[in-house]
Amino acid sequence: MYDVVDFLLNTQLGLNSPDWVVMLISHLVVVGMLFAVAPLQVLFLTYYERRAIARMQDRVGPNRVGYEGLLQPVADGVKMFTKEDIVPDSADKIVHLLAPIVAAAPVLYMFAVLPWGPNMIAVDLPTGLLFFFAISSISTVGLLMAGWASNNKFALLGAMRAVAQVVSYEIPALLSLLFAVMFAGSMSLMAIVEAQGGLFISTTDVPSVPDLGLGWFVFTPVGFLAFVCFFIAALAEGERTPFDIPEADSEIVAGYMTEYSGMKFAMFYLAQYILNFLLCAITATIFFGGWQGPGVAWLVSQSLSADNPAGNPVYNVLAGMLGTFYLLAKTYMFFFVMVALRGAFPRLRIDQLMNFGWKFLIPLTMINILSAALWIAITRWGTAQGFGIIEFAGEPGNLVRWVIAFAVTLVINVAAYWFLARLNVQDHAARQAALTAGGLAVSPPRSA
Amino acid sequence: MSNDTLTHSVTFTEAPAALTVVVDPTPQIARGSAVIVERRRPKAAGWSLLQGLGVVVDHWRKSFRKLDDPTQIAGTFTTEYPEERLPLPEAYRNMPILLFDDATGHELCTSCFQCQRICPPQVIHMTQAKDPETGKPVPAVSEFIIEYDACMSCGFCAEVCPFDAIKMDHDFELSTANHPSLTVHKAGLLRPVSYYQSIAPTFWAEAEASAYKKLEANKKRRPASIGIAPQMIEQVKAAHELRDDQQEADSPPAPVAIAPALDAGRAATPATASAAPAASDGDLPTDKAARLAAIRARNEAKKAAEQAAPAQAQPAAEGAATALTTPDAPLTDALPAASERTAPPAPATPDAPLDEKAARLAAIRARNAAKKAAQAEEE
Ligand code: SF4
Ligand code: SF4
Repeated sequence: MYDVVDFLLNTQLGLNSPDWVVMLISHLVVVGMLFAVAPLQVLFLTYYERRAIARMQDRVGPNRVGYEGLLQPVADGVKMFTKEDIVPDSADKIVHLLAPIVAAAPVLYMFAVLPWGPNMIAVDLPTGLLFFFAISSISTVGLLMAGWASNNKFALLGAMRAVAQVVSYEIPALLSLLFAVMFAGSMSLMAIVEAQGGLFISTTDVPSVPDLGLGWFVFTPVGFLAFVCFFIAALAEGERTPFDIPEADSEIVAGYMTEYSGMKFAMFYLAQYILNFLLCAITATIFFGGWQGPGVAWLVSQSLSADNPAGNPVYNVLAGMLGTFYLLAKTYMFFFVMVALRGAFPRLRIDQLMNFGWKFLIPLTMINILSAALWIAITRWGTAQGFGIIEFAGEPGNLVRWVIAFAVTLVINVAAYWFLARLNVQDHAARQAALTAGGLAVSPPRSA
Repeated sequence: MSNDTLTHSVTFTEAPAALTVVVDPTPQIARGSAVIVERRRPKAAGWSLLQGLGVVVDHWRKSFRKLDDPTQIAGTFTTEYPEERLPLPEAYRNMPILLFDDATGHELCTSCFQCQRICPPQVIHMTQAKDPETGKPVPAVSEFIIEYDACMSCGFCAEVCPFDAIKMDHDFELSTANHPSLTVHKAGLLRPVSYYQSIAPTFWAEAEASAYKKLEANKKRRPASIGIAPQMIEQVKAAHELRDDQQEADSPPAPVAIAPALDAGRAATPATASAAPAASDGDLPTDKAARLAAIRARNEAKKAAEQAAPAQAQPAAEGAATALTTPDAPLTDALPAASERTAPPAPATPDAPLDEKAARLAAIRARNAAKKAAQAEEE
């Protein structure tokens, strides 16, 4: 964006603006665009979810307002605006007011580090990944504020559940993402996306692979396991079914949102859907190549840049559009999976959630980090790094190393999955037996 | 997806031929035998979760197809209501309505109070009509109210009515912002018989004969325009005035002109042709009625004669019209001329007698004679 504004102001209009003006204008434009995109995404996602889940239940879904119901979210928004804003008498008024703001504002910050296309990122932070998840946790404070300030036991229960859930699933989410940092050698989301060029085999591992933008991390055993773990953890963080425990409407009304109405309620809703969108987008970015896809690399190579002053600016625009299209297509695909999960599975109990997170997901992701380390060692290290056992010279050597790494990590990951699943099944059976035997609902010593 | 990962083995405890039954999609299960469906447990943990997801996605995929056969388990079967409507079964009932005869406008209700008595929430209210001269009650209602807002659509009123005067309607789109409009008065309740016939043809076919028989009997006891549906009063009056005018101008085709108009709605009923003109008798001032009856009798006699004539293919109405093309010729002259060709000449009444009863009698007799003559001729 800096380049575009610079081009328009200084080259085209000849204003000779100082650097900081160009910087300021370009950032304001980007921020404005993102703030416009976020609510639009929410509007579309609510419509998308309702239509998709309706189809899964052999219904049609909202199709009355506008063409095929496309204006339904607008109608819902208007309804929300006109609703009375009720604050309970015994609520802590100030915290009650602040809670939706604290919940919704951080998720908008997360847009800052999301790469939309080649060179299309608001701020390419070197610690983008860390920033993304650090900011997302602040939302939880808003939820706790809402539950506390409402002075309602359901709201407090919901807030407690939300905090417990988000805190415990933050760990597997981040642990499963560590592999990407190791693979790409950077926490910058842009760098992670750029590391995923290639064709089933990433160009970072085997540079001779043709770059079709399909060297996604998910095609490695490490990446696949991490993807599964991360997506489950993301569901829990986004409070999606089957992990919608904090707002379990059949148990605790609407959880921390119980005492909210009108626009404040809509703010929570907005925050939640933006978070879901971003979680889907980050899944696409880290595991499925983000904006990478066939054709993008070629368009980028044709486009105007510092390295290629002879390029055509039209290709810049085309590359950006194609990249954004790939990213959004992948994001909506994951949102569809989220909706399908909502259609298929019932809600977990809070203890099941905790068991699953701490006893299954976290150990699994830790083993996955071991696999990731082995992968790096086998494919990249040589004698210089003290790991010269597998070293082949020349180009086919890279491929052989890749195959060996694939086989080793596959074996490790499958074994880990199988072993942990068996342990958990046994544990579950033992607790079930203890319960049916009339024992107390305490965890019995694990049977050998 | 689910098909190749699940195996159903159906075992019958009694029938040894169970293996052949397994292939049958609808196995006949003998009474008392147990069916054990075995599912192979998935080996990998989490596999069954994927299976569940597969079912949901499968439904999503198939939902773009319209479900037309109820044996399919996936597919959209939504009827987009305001645009598409399911056909309502004949026995569908929503709110009760009152019926009136299309031809004469007479309401079928006799104010017998049966429906009012049986209505569980007591939402039917009515006032019986009285003869304005004698003050005696007549078999008709002057006002009939049903509170639609409290009616529970039980249909008891329609079941109990001995005169088939109250029936259950199919119209269910009654929502309104105007609550008092749901207290419906007689004018709002009345529907022509032809309407009920259109929504419930077989039910009406069963009830028709007895309903009309009872209506005929009741009409005789209703003086003036009592018992005529309010929306029909104008129409009936207009018809009668037309007839009166024509009668005063001494132009006989009055029944021919009016009867088809009135009969339009009752074309399906076989007995209408002769019943309709007679049906109108009760509502006219008596002296006029007498004169009318006489004229009508004459006309019928003439008609019969005309039909019997060689030009038999000509419709009766047309025949009457041709007879009228000679207006100068007095009616009494034209009549014998026409009757000459019939074997038993119809006894024509030359002038309307002053006595009302005598006039009617004469009219009936003349009509019968004419009919008989026509029948004889046809044979
Ligand atoms: S349908 Fe039932 S409740 Fe309604 S008026 Fe008739 S008897 Fe009364
Ligand atoms: S509607 Fe039927 S039952 Fe009711 S008063 Fe009239 S004739 Fe009697």
